[in-house]
Amino acid sequence: MKESLLDVVCCPLDKHDLELDVEDRTDEEILEGTLTCSDCGEVYPIEDGIPNLLPPDMREESD
Amino acid sequence: MTDLAERRGAETTVYQPAEDSGLLAEAALEEATGRVLEVGTGSGWVAKRVDEEAGEVDEVVASDVNPHACRQARERGVEVVRGDLLDPFRAGAFDAVLFNPPYLPTDPENEWDDWMETALSGGETGRELIEPFLDDVERVLAPEGIVLLLVSSLAGYEEIRGRAADAGFDDEVVREESFPFETLSILRLSRRSPSSSGDY
Repeated sequence: MKESLLDVVCCPLDKHDLELDVEDRTDEEILEGTLTCSDCGEVYPIEDGIPNLLPPDMREESD
Repeated sequence: MTDLAERRGAETTVYQPAEDSGLLAEAALEEATGRVLEVGTGSGWVAKRVDEEAGEVDEVVASDVNPHACRQARERGVEVVRGDLLDPFRAGAFDAVLFNPPYLPTDPENEWDDWMETALSGGETGRELIEPFLDDVERVLAPEGIVLLLVSSLAGYEEIRGRAADAGFDDEVVREESFPFETLSILRLSRRSPSSSGDY
Protein backbone atom coordinates (compact mmCIF):
# COMPACT_ATOMS: atom_id res chain seq x y z
CA MET A 1 0.00 0.00 0.00
CA LYS A 2 1.02 3.56 -0.63
CA GLU A 3 1.14 5.92 2.31
CA SER A 4 -1.52 8.03 0.59
CA LEU A 5 -4.02 5.23 1.23
CA LEU A 6 -4.26 6.58 4.80
CA ASP A 7 -6.30 9.47 3.36
CA VAL A 8 -9.17 7.10 2.51
CA VAL A 9 -9.11 4.23 5.02
CA CYS A 10 -10.27 4.13 8.62
CA CYS A 11 -10.93 1.63 11.38
CA PRO A 12 -13.77 -0.61 10.13
CA LEU A 13 -15.21 -0.85 13.64
CA ASP A 14 -15.47 2.79 14.73
CA LYS A 15 -14.29 4.82 11.67
CA HIS A 16 -11.48 6.54 13.55
CA ASP A 17 -8.04 7.33 12.07
CA LEU A 18 -5.40 4.63 11.69
CA GLU A 19 -1.77 5.05 12.71
CA LEU A 20 0.84 3.46 10.49
CA ASP A 21 3.83 1.48 11.75
CA VAL A 22 6.21 0.35 9.02
CA GLU A 23 8.31 -2.81 9.25
CA ASP A 24 9.36 -3.06 5.61
CA ARG A 25 8.93 -0.70 2.69
CA THR A 26 10.16 0.27 -0.74
CA ASP A 27 10.49 3.85 -2.00
CA GLU A 28 6.90 3.70 -3.21
CA GLU A 29 4.96 1.61 -0.77
CA ILE A 30 4.67 -0.18 2.54
CA LEU A 31 5.09 -3.96 2.31
CA GLU A 32 4.86 -5.05 5.94
CA GLY A 33 3.61 -3.27 9.02
CA THR A 34 0.50 -2.49 11.00
CA LEU A 35 -2.35 -0.01 11.12
CA THR A 36 -3.59 0.77 14.63
CA CYS A 37 -6.86 2.49 15.43
CA SER A 38 -6.20 5.74 17.25
CA ASP A 39 -9.37 5.24 19.28
CA CYS A 40 -10.11 1.57 20.01
CA GLY A 41 -6.50 0.37 19.61
CA GLU A 42 -7.37 -2.54 17.30
CA VAL A 43 -4.31 -3.56 15.24
CA TYR A 44 -4.66 -4.43 11.55
CA PRO A 45 -1.81 -6.18 9.72
CA ILE A 46 -0.23 -5.13 6.42
CA GLU A 47 1.13 -8.23 4.69
CA ASP A 48 2.75 -8.42 1.25
CA GLY A 49 1.63 -4.85 0.62
CA ILE A 50 -2.04 -5.52 1.40
CA PRO A 51 -3.65 -4.02 4.51
CA ASN A 52 -6.17 -6.39 6.09
CA LEU A 53 -8.95 -4.16 7.38
CA LEU A 54 -11.46 -6.91 8.04
CA PRO A 55 -12.90 -6.69 11.55
CA PRO A 56 -11.15 -9.16 13.87
CA ASP A 57 -14.04 -11.66 13.91
CA MET A 58 -13.94 -12.01 10.11
CA ARG A 59 -10.14 -12.05 9.96
CA GLU A 60 -9.86 -15.35 11.85
CA GLU A 61 -12.33 -17.47 9.93
CA SER A 62 -11.47 -16.67 6.37
CA ASP A 63 -8.43 -17.97 4.52
CA MET B 1 -25.75 -17.90 -17.23
CA THR B 2 -28.25 -18.39 -14.43
CA ASP B 3 -26.67 -21.36 -12.82
CA LEU B 4 -23.96 -20.98 -10.24
CA ALA B 5 -22.24 -24.15 -11.43
CA GLU B 6 -21.99 -22.82 -14.98
CA ARG B 7 -20.74 -19.44 -13.87
CA ARG B 8 -18.09 -20.95 -11.63
CA GLY B 9 -16.46 -22.88 -14.42
CA ALA B 10 -13.09 -24.24 -13.46
CA GLU B 11 -12.06 -21.25 -11.40
CA THR B 12 -12.57 -21.76 -7.67
CA THR B 13 -10.94 -18.81 -5.96
CA VAL B 14 -11.20 -15.52 -7.87
CA TYR B 15 -13.94 -14.26 -10.22
CA GLN B 16 -12.44 -13.51 -13.62
CA PRO B 17 -13.58 -10.70 -15.96
CA ALA B 18 -16.82 -11.43 -17.84
CA GLU B 19 -19.57 -9.49 -19.66
CA ASP B 20 -20.62 -7.74 -16.47
CA SER B 21 -17.05 -6.58 -15.82
CA GLY B 22 -16.82 -5.14 -19.35
CA LEU B 23 -20.07 -3.25 -18.93
CA LEU B 24 -18.98 -1.75 -15.61
CA ALA B 25 -15.58 -0.75 -17.01
CA GLU B 26 -17.15 0.98 -20.02
CA ALA B 27 -19.53 2.93 -17.82
CA ALA B 28 -16.72 3.90 -15.45
CA LEU B 29 -14.48 5.13 -18.28
CA GLU B 30 -17.21 7.63 -19.19
CA GLU B 31 -18.66 8.53 -15.82
CA ALA B 32 -15.96 8.23 -13.15
CA THR B 33 -13.75 11.13 -12.10
CA GLY B 34 -11.33 12.01 -9.33
CA ARG B 35 -10.77 9.42 -6.65
CA VAL B 36 -12.44 6.09 -7.38
CA LEU B 37 -13.19 3.03 -5.21
CA GLU B 38 -14.04 -0.35 -6.67
CA VAL B 39 -15.69 -2.59 -4.08
CA GLY B 40 -15.35 -6.35 -4.63
CA THR B 41 -12.70 -5.93 -7.29
CA GLY B 42 -12.02 -9.66 -7.79
CA SER B 43 -9.16 -10.01 -10.25
CA GLY B 44 -8.72 -6.23 -10.33
CA TRP B 45 -9.44 -6.03 -14.07
CA VAL B 46 -12.02 -3.22 -13.90
CA ALA B 47 -9.99 -1.18 -11.41
CA LYS B 48 -6.87 -1.47 -13.55
CA ARG B 49 -8.66 -0.43 -16.74
CA VAL B 50 -10.20 2.58 -15.05
CA ASP B 51 -6.86 3.56 -13.53
CA GLU B 52 -5.07 3.36 -16.87
CA GLU B 53 -7.69 4.56 -19.33
CA ALA B 54 -10.14 6.95 -17.63
CA GLY B 55 -9.15 10.48 -18.54
CA GLU B 56 -10.55 12.26 -15.50
CA VAL B 57 -9.64 9.70 -12.85
CA ASP B 58 -6.76 10.62 -10.52
CA GLU B 59 -6.56 7.59 -8.29
CA VAL B 60 -8.17 4.15 -7.97
CA VAL B 61 -8.44 2.12 -4.78
CA ALA B 62 -9.96 -1.37 -4.78
CA SER B 63 -11.16 -3.73 -2.08
CA ASP B 64 -12.19 -7.33 -1.73
CA VAL B 65 -13.02 -9.66 1.14
CA ASN B 66 -11.23 -12.55 -0.58
CA PRO B 67 -7.45 -12.73 0.08
CA HIS B 68 -6.82 -14.50 -3.24
CA ALA B 69 -8.61 -11.70 -5.09
CA CYS B 70 -6.59 -9.10 -3.18
CA ARG B 71 -3.36 -10.76 -4.27
CA GLN B 72 -4.43 -11.00 -7.93
CA ALA B 73 -5.50 -7.38 -7.98
CA ARG B 74 -2.22 -6.29 -6.42
CA GLU B 75 -0.23 -8.32 -8.95
CA ARG B 76 -2.13 -6.43 -11.62
CA GLY B 77 -0.86 -3.20 -10.09
CA VAL B 78 -4.02 -2.13 -8.29
CA GLU B 79 -3.89 -0.43 -4.88
CA VAL B 80 -5.94 -2.89 -2.82
CA VAL B 81 -7.39 -3.20 0.67
CA ARG B 82 -8.85 -6.35 2.16
CA GLY B 83 -12.14 -5.42 3.74
CA ASP B 84 -15.88 -6.00 4.05
CA LEU B 85 -17.87 -3.80 1.63
CA LEU B 86 -17.46 -0.14 2.64
CA ASP B 87 -16.51 -0.69 6.28
CA PRO B 88 -12.84 0.38 6.12
CA PHE B 89 -13.38 3.60 4.11
CA ARG B 90 -13.65 7.16 5.33
CA ALA B 91 -16.65 9.41 5.04
CA GLY B 92 -16.62 11.63 1.96
CA ALA B 93 -13.50 10.01 0.49
CA PHE B 94 -14.59 9.08 -3.05
CA ASP B 95 -15.86 10.82 -6.17
CA ALA B 96 -17.06 7.52 -7.62
CA VAL B 97 -17.73 4.06 -6.17
CA LEU B 98 -18.01 1.06 -8.52
CA PHE B 99 -19.57 -2.28 -7.56
CA ASN B 100 -20.22 -5.43 -9.55
CA PRO B 101 -21.85 -7.34 -6.70
CA PRO B 102 -22.43 -11.03 -6.12
CA TYR B 103 -26.04 -11.24 -7.27
CA LEU B 104 -27.05 -14.78 -8.19
CA PRO B 105 -30.01 -15.90 -6.08
CA THR B 106 -28.86 -19.04 -4.29
CA ASP B 107 -30.62 -21.78 -2.43
CA PRO B 108 -29.04 -21.87 1.05
CA GLU B 109 -29.03 -25.68 0.94
CA ASN B 110 -27.13 -25.73 -2.31
CA GLU B 111 -24.12 -23.56 -1.57
CA TRP B 112 -20.47 -24.39 -2.06
CA ASP B 113 -18.95 -22.47 0.79
CA ASP B 114 -15.83 -21.45 -1.09
CA TRP B 115 -14.46 -18.15 -2.39
CA MET B 116 -16.14 -18.46 -5.78
CA GLU B 117 -19.49 -18.68 -4.05
CA THR B 118 -18.61 -15.51 -2.14
CA ALA B 119 -17.95 -13.87 -5.50
CA LEU B 120 -21.23 -14.97 -7.10
CA SER B 121 -23.94 -15.65 -4.56
CA GLY B 122 -26.30 -12.92 -3.46
CA GLY B 123 -28.12 -15.18 -1.02
CA GLU B 124 -31.74 -16.23 -1.45
CA THR B 125 -32.85 -12.87 -2.88
CA GLY B 126 -29.67 -12.09 -4.82
CA ARG B 127 -29.52 -8.82 -2.86
CA GLU B 128 -27.81 -9.81 0.39
CA LEU B 129 -24.69 -7.79 -0.42
CA ILE B 130 -26.36 -5.12 -2.56
CA GLU B 131 -28.65 -3.94 0.23
CA PRO B 132 -26.01 -3.24 2.91
CA PHE B 133 -23.87 -1.64 0.20
CA LEU B 134 -26.69 0.74 -0.78
CA ASP B 135 -27.44 1.54 2.85
CA ASP B 136 -23.83 2.66 3.54
CA VAL B 137 -22.44 3.99 0.25
CA GLU B 138 -23.71 7.55 0.63
CA ARG B 139 -21.40 7.92 3.64
CA VAL B 140 -18.19 7.47 1.62
CA LEU B 141 -19.16 9.75 -1.27
CA ALA B 142 -17.76 13.24 -1.78
CA PRO B 143 -20.44 15.96 -2.18
CA GLU B 144 -20.87 15.40 -5.94
CA GLY B 145 -19.94 11.72 -5.79
CA ILE B 146 -21.65 9.00 -7.83
CA VAL B 147 -22.14 5.24 -7.62
CA LEU B 148 -21.98 2.90 -10.61
CA LEU B 149 -23.75 -0.32 -9.65
CA LEU B 150 -24.15 -3.35 -11.87
CA VAL B 151 -27.70 -4.67 -11.60
CA SER B 152 -28.92 -7.98 -12.99
CA SER B 153 -32.59 -8.61 -13.63
CA LEU B 154 -32.04 -11.86 -11.70
CA ALA B 155 -31.54 -9.91 -8.47
CA GLY B 156 -34.69 -7.79 -8.81
CA TYR B 157 -34.23 -4.55 -10.73
CA GLU B 158 -37.15 -2.67 -9.17
CA GLU B 159 -36.31 -3.82 -5.65
CA ILE B 160 -32.77 -2.49 -6.07
CA ARG B 161 -34.00 0.84 -7.47
CA GLY B 162 -36.37 1.11 -4.52
CA ARG B 163 -33.59 0.47 -2.02
CA ALA B 164 -31.40 3.09 -3.72
CA ALA B 165 -34.25 5.59 -3.55
CA ASP B 166 -34.69 4.85 0.16
CA ALA B 167 -30.98 5.57 0.62
CA GLY B 168 -31.48 9.01 -0.94
CA PHE B 169 -30.37 8.42 -4.52
CA ASP B 170 -31.69 9.27 -7.96
CA ASP B 171 -30.85 6.63 -10.53
CA GLU B 172 -30.20 6.58 -14.23
CA VAL B 173 -29.35 3.64 -16.49
CA VAL B 174 -26.09 4.40 -18.31
CA ARG B 175 -25.48 0.97 -19.88
CA GLU B 176 -27.70 -2.01 -20.58
CA GLU B 177 -27.19 -5.35 -22.26
CA SER B 178 -29.54 -8.32 -22.59
CA PHE B 179 -28.55 -11.96 -22.44
CA PRO B 180 -30.76 -15.05 -22.80
CA PHE B 181 -31.48 -15.32 -19.07
CA GLU B 182 -30.82 -11.89 -17.68
CA THR B 183 -30.49 -8.21 -18.48
CA LEU B 184 -27.50 -6.39 -17.06
CA SER B 185 -27.73 -2.67 -16.37
CA ILE B 186 -25.33 -0.16 -14.93
CA LEU B 187 -27.21 2.19 -12.62
CA ARG B 188 -25.63 5.56 -12.01
CA LEU B 189 -26.72 6.78 -8.59
CA SER B 190 -26.39 10.35 -7.44
CA ARG B 191 -27.69 12.07 -4.32
CA ARG B 192 -31.24 13.21 -4.85
CA SER B 193 -31.29 16.95 -5.28
CA PRO B 194 -33.63 18.78 -2.87
CA SER B 195 -35.63 20.17 -5.80
CA SER B 196 -36.61 16.79 -7.24
CA SER B 197 -39.94 15.36 -6.24
CA GLY B 198 -40.96 13.09 -3.48
CA ASP B 199 -40.23 13.33 0.17
CA TYR B 200 -39.70 17.06 0.53
